[in-house]
Amino acid sequence: MSFAAKGLHAASDVLRRARLIPRVWIGTAFAGVSIALLPFFSPLDGKPHADFLQFLGRFHPLLVHLPIGLILLLPLLEFLGVKRPAMREAAGFVLQIALATCILTVIFGVLLAYASGEIGTTVTRHMRGGILLAIELSLCLMVRSSLLAAQRSRVYFGLLGVVLITLTWTAHEGGSLTHGSDYLTRYMPSTLRRFIAPSAVASHPNSFFARHIYTVLDTKCVACHGTNKEQGGLQLDSYESLMAGGKDGVVIVPRNPDGSLLLKKVTLPPTDPHFMPAEGRAPLTPDEIARIRAWILAGASPIATSVPGIFIAEDREEAPPPVGDYNAIMGEIRQMQQSQGAKLVPVSANPADGLILRTTDVAGSFDDEQLAKFQDFAPFIVEAELARTAVTDAGVETLSQYKNLRALHLEGTAVSGRTLGKLSSLTQLSYLNLSGTKVTSDALLPLKNMPKLRHLYLFNTPAELTSAAETNARSAQ
Amino acid sequence: MKQHPLCSDCEDKITPMDLPIPAGLKKEWSTCESRRQFLGRTGKVLGWASLATLFGEASFRHLAFASSNSQQAGSASKNLGLPHFAPKAKRAIYLFMSGAPPQVDLFDYKPGLAAQFDKDMPASVRGNQQLTGMTAGQARFPVAPAHWPFNQHGQTGTWISDLLPYTARMVDDLTFIKSTNTDAINHEPAIMLMNTGNMNVGKPCLGAWLAYGLGSMNDNLPTFVVLQTKTNAKENNQPVSSRLWSSGFLSSEFSGVGLRSVGDPVLYLQDPAGVDRDVRRKMLDAVEEINRQTLAEVGDPETNSRIAQYEMAFRMQSSVPELTDLSKEPDSTWELYGQDAKEPGTFAYNCLLARRMAERGVRFTQVYKRGWDVHDNAVGMLPVLCKETDQGAYALITDLKRRGLLDDTLVIWAGEFGRTVYSQGGLSQENYGRDHHPRCFTTWMAGAGVRPGVAYGETDDYSYNVVKDPVHVRDFNATILHCLGIDHNKFTYEFQGLRQKLTSPVEAFVVKGILA
Repeated sequence: MSFAAKGLHAASDVLRRARLIPRVWIGTAFAGVSIALLPFFSPLDGKPHADFLQFLGRFHPLLVHLPIGLILLLPLLEFLGVKRPAMREAAGFVLQIALATCILTVIFGVLLAYASGEIGTTVTRHMRGGILLAIELSLCLMVRSSLLAAQRSRVYFGLLGVVLITLTWTAHEGGSLTHGSDYLTRYMPSTLRRFIAPSAVASHPNSFFARHIYTVLDTKCVACHGTNKEQGGLQLDSYESLMAGGKDGVVIVPRNPDGSLLLKKVTLPPTDPHFMPAEGRAPLTPDEIARIRAWILAGASPIATSVPGIFIAEDREEAPPPVGDYNAIMGEIRQMQQSQGAKLVPVSANPADGLILRTTDVAGSFDDEQLAKFQDFAPFIVEAELARTAVTDAGVETLSQYKNLRALHLEGTAVSGRTLGKLSSLTQLSYLNLSGTKVTSDALLPLKNMPKLRHLYLFNTPAELTSAAETNARSAQ
Repeated sequence: MKQHPLCSDCEDKITPMDLPIPAGLKKEWSTCESRRQFLGRTGKVLGWASLATLFGEASFRHLAFASSNSQQAGSASKNLGLPHFAPKAKRAIYLFMSGAPPQVDLFDYKPGLAAQFDKDMPASVRGNQQLTGMTAGQARFPVAPAHWPFNQHGQTGTWISDLLPYTARMVDDLTFIKSTNTDAINHEPAIMLMNTGNMNVGKPCLGAWLAYGLGSMNDNLPTFVVLQTKTNAKENNQPVSSRLWSSGFLSSEFSGVGLRSVGDPVLYLQDPAGVDRDVRRKMLDAVEEINRQTLAEVGDPETNSRIAQYEMAFRMQSSVPELTDLSKEPDSTWELYGQDAKEPGTFAYNCLLARRMAERGVRFTQVYKRGWDVHDNAVGMLPVLCKETDQGAYALITDLKRRGLLDDTLVIWAGEFGRTVYSQGGLSQENYGRDHHPRCFTTWMAGAGVRPGVAYGETDDYSYNVVKDPVHVRDFNATILHCLGIDHNKFTYEFQGLRQKLTSPVEAFVVKGILA
């Protein structure tokens, strides 16, 4: 028997079978329509319902893998069926089983969402995906026989492709529900991650909240308390929603960790029915709890960048760039010291740590002119101790050439602050001491945008009085 | 004839120099003077003397100057490759609470003890510990809970006794070590161990090591200054002596310079009547020349120290009066330190001086406060002691902080050991005493290099044994060195054939848990 005849025989056989089942056709259509109507019978209203329904619903994650496996098997069988009719015959059966389990799974899934009171965009999307999949599968079943018989298998295969895409999307949404939306991206290499849009982060990316509270909530809580799902009406995926609380009221009481519901729930004994995270998910580590507690105690601010008593390695200021090796000009450095009295002292045995310009013992006589003589060594100087020297505003201008300067002591000098704006070119400057000078708060304005300037000292200056008055005014409000 | 053990003429015999002895020891031996060396050198000196007269005076002077210069380079300004790494702290201030403050009454809050009042401390807690002679004979060891209530303070919610209202205000800036422990149970060995890393006399103290290793930041002031607080006769004052700020086997120019608590800070610092600055300078120049001659002849590095100290004293004639002149301090200073600080010799005054020295580049300042040895009448004496010290310590930290100095200054507060939870002598509702306790005591640090707002280490319910993260005195000192950029294992000095260090002989560990 020739190959074509064999195929023809097989096709007519299939056709004969298909003719036998208009009843199946009707039943399938009915199942599809009723599935589509399911959400109208049991709308997701966010309230928990009968426990029995939830008991049944919880078999959804178990059942769900059955249609997934069968649907994946389907295109394989159909493809192989081109050469081996037995496979094609099996494909029809698999399709029927897939549809049946799919419908069952959708029903259980809706039961779970309805009974447990879960709502959220991901829940809705996952449900719609499931229903769409069931409808697409019934469509497949209805048109399969006739399409194959009419040799228009391309349309059928196209339909199968749509089924696969729907399946992938729905399964992903389901995975996001159980494992969290960043399950796949969390450990993704950063090169890949660049292509993915960043997840929602607080408006102050450098705050303690954004770096150490949000991250804990995101990994441990948001899977159930987020926009995807809002268990207990609580969303923990932004500062605002965290502070807004849920159905049981506020969960964070600033300055009162023991009165904060969130902290109470995560510190219950794990066997307690109210313990969070629920359902055997990874509990919070003592470290994470300590961070949350300290953060609440310190006022639960969305802006504060540090919290007393809590130190996290990655919070440390990143090391400034190394300076060049000054050993080559050591001779000149020594000569300079002997002629000027001021010293150039290595920060450490490692030349990359740079030099300190130290004027302590000649402070009284060290002035702008002498400072200018150190110009040649400027790239190596990371700290300038000019406290109580005769350096003035002109000297500050000279200092703007010290590109690697990290700390600058100008306390007790005659600096008026007129030229402080020039310092904004010092990108590494993190410490500036202006105590005991006549600097005003207006003179400091140009320093506002210096990225690394974290320690600014204004003790006994007109600027200090202004800022104190501002603080008082703010606290009075 | 029996050969002199240090004889270097071998005459076919094996001398001690051929034995497998550490090279350092041999070097030290070889510098010792034997009879032969003495005679030999006398001959050389005579030869040089006659040669010098032949060549003329000028060339001789030049020779002596050159040799003394090279000597100097060999001792003080020797390049030790320090700091080993970029330090967080440039300088340190050590508030030493001599006599041992009771941790149970001040910092180590044990709420459970109140219910244990006058009950015997379980023998299992004490174990087989050998007590001091003062309480070993006691029939029972009744638990004496702290007489004063504790309260939580700061954003860290740290428990502090009501005895220390000022310390309570700065808890967020402090790093408490509740598990400090020591080997010694009596004052002298314990205070030596704390300061020099060894119970026996003869080792350099922390300040001397720092002066030797890091050097001066201001040539006009000593690198290491010791301030003693006036004693209160009502308190039980244990002696502190210059052994505690000695340079040990290091050159004596590294030992601490004590500023007196009463009268002139440095005696005879003022020029006597009729001697002006120029005359003084000429006199010192003449003395220096004689000293340099001695140095050239004998080569004893101590002569160098002497020259350096004369020069330092001369410069201190102007720098110390400026240092101790408090007339320009703003009113805010007196508000912060209290009126006590106006009286020289009080703890608050010394704290203020310590701040002024930090500003002026003194590398290490140690303030001693005696009187914490409360064997009896703890209830009577502790309020006095706390009142004397609490505000000063708070003012120092606050002042350094607002002036931007706490960013590169490490402040340390410690005694030599702790005190027992059980009462020494009679225990009543009104009073108790506490004996020495080496197994645990509370210390604190603040400022550059350490994490603020941390309590490190834990003790048991009786504040008797360390149950978590013990910090031995050696670890404590290693940590201080670390904050100043020094690896305590690499910072050594060869003496007596050993590579001596502050933290020897048992291995010490930097307390990573408190580092910033």
